[in-house]
Amino acid sequence: MTDVVLQGLTKRFGAVPAVRNLTCTMTPGVTGFLGPNGAGKTTTLRMLLGLVRPTAGTATVGGRRYADLPQPRRVVGALLDSTGFHPGRTGRQHLRISADQSGLPAARVATVLDQVDLGGAADRRVRGYSLGMRQRLGLATALLGDPEVLVLDEPANGLDPAGMAWLRGLLRDLGAEGRTVIISSHVLAEVRQTADRVVIVGEGTLRHTGPLDEMAGLEEEFLRLTGGVA
Amino acid sequence: MRAELRKLITARSTWLLLAIAQLIVVAGVSGLMLQRDDPASDDAQRGAIAHVGLVALFGLLIGILAVAGEYRHRTITDTFLARPHRDRVVLSKLVVAAGAGAVLGVVASATALITDAIWLAAKGLSIDLASGVLWRTVAGGIGWNIAFAAIGVGVGALITNLSAAVAAALGWLALVEGIVGELIGDASRWLPFALGQALVGLPNSADRPQAWQAGLVLVLYVAVFVAAGIGVTTRRDITH
Repeated sequence: MTDVVLQGLTKRFGAVPAVRNLTCTMTPGVTGFLGPNGAGKTTTLRMLLGLVRPTAGTATVGGRRYADLPQPRRVVGALLDSTGFHPGRTGRQHLRISADQSGLPAARVATVLDQVDLGGAADRRVRGYSLGMRQRLGLATALLGDPEVLVLDEPANGLDPAGMAWLRGLLRDLGAEGRTVIISSHVLAEVRQTADRVVIVGEGTLRHTGPLDEMAGLEEEFLRLTGGVA
Repeated sequence: MRAELRKLITARSTWLLLAIAQLIVVAGVSGLMLQRDDPASDDAQRGAIAHVGLVALFGLLIGILAVAGEYRHRTITDTFLARPHRDRVVLSKLVVAAGAGAVLGVVASATALITDAIWLAAKGLSIDLASGVLWRTVAGGIGWNIAFAAIGVGVGALITNLSAAVAAALGWLALVEGIVGELIGDASRWLPFALGQALVGLPNSADRPQAWQAGLVLVLYVAVFVAAGIGVTTRRDITH
């Protein structure tokens, strides 16, 4: 049972504030991390993952900053919007490298390939993958360390309807197992079907946090909270 | 470290660079052997085997690709997620690239020696494998490859835009070092390419640095580039 805690998290790129004094706690279960484009979702997740250095404040997982986790991949798995793959490597090679540098056993590679249903394409070069297959490979990478916390930026990107249904099931299962699953998205319909709670941000600040079932209508509330027109 | 090695050997660019380097060595050695009337002399042999050092350009590219290539393909995100201590990532790349430079140097040496021996045989001569000049040149050429591959890691960590890093490195070797050399006069012998040449005993004159001096200063260059690369890398925001 691992909580993710953001405390006064702030990031400015030059003079531009991307995230402003964001404080919230994300507990086990599925949390929808919502906000319009440019609200600072991705920057927040990247600070949580140690990729972007906060201007102020902290982001911790189970009380520790990402960089202070002895084996970060065993605690946190991440899928980012633009996760890169070397086009000349096969999916399996990519996962092998990822497992090696994360200090994870090579046997995990076959397990996660099965889990995301990518076994058949594992030995093809990523160059020939569809967007949906890349997304599955990214999810496989996130699952490599069998982590208690999953940070997924727009996980449904590029998935076809069958892929979406599969992803929904996977996320629900992961949440039900007591993992802390954070899904950033602006596809509200998708979030409504999987999330237990939502955190809504707008212009880099926290606008709302709470259980989904207490919200009258997700879209109306989202638009009201983020200054869109209902 | 093992992951870095796997990245190197699963990238086709590595093998392509290794192959092209061999073609250049064969062509370079052949050209020199065709040109000289005294192909078996120390001077001609040094000039022929020194082509091993010239492919250090490819070592430099391998070093640059090891770092800037990860930014190019955005795999750097995965690497830093796996290993948030970025200084250690750069140092692993340094070790693996230096090793790759050594392999490149050794393979190029074998190619150069075989090509050299074939040309000598064609002219009714034979290669003098007991020659000190020959082996000093081989050792210097391998050292040049190792040093440049290591410098490449520093360059790639500083300039993460792959095209810009490659352009900067090639531009330096083709043009800038010569111009800087004219500006600074005698001190130009301590610039990187001149030091590589000194490692293989070129130019054949008394006022070039000794091979050990050249090696030492190249190690200093590696230290400076890699330290600067680590300094920048640990502060950089990875935003895409």
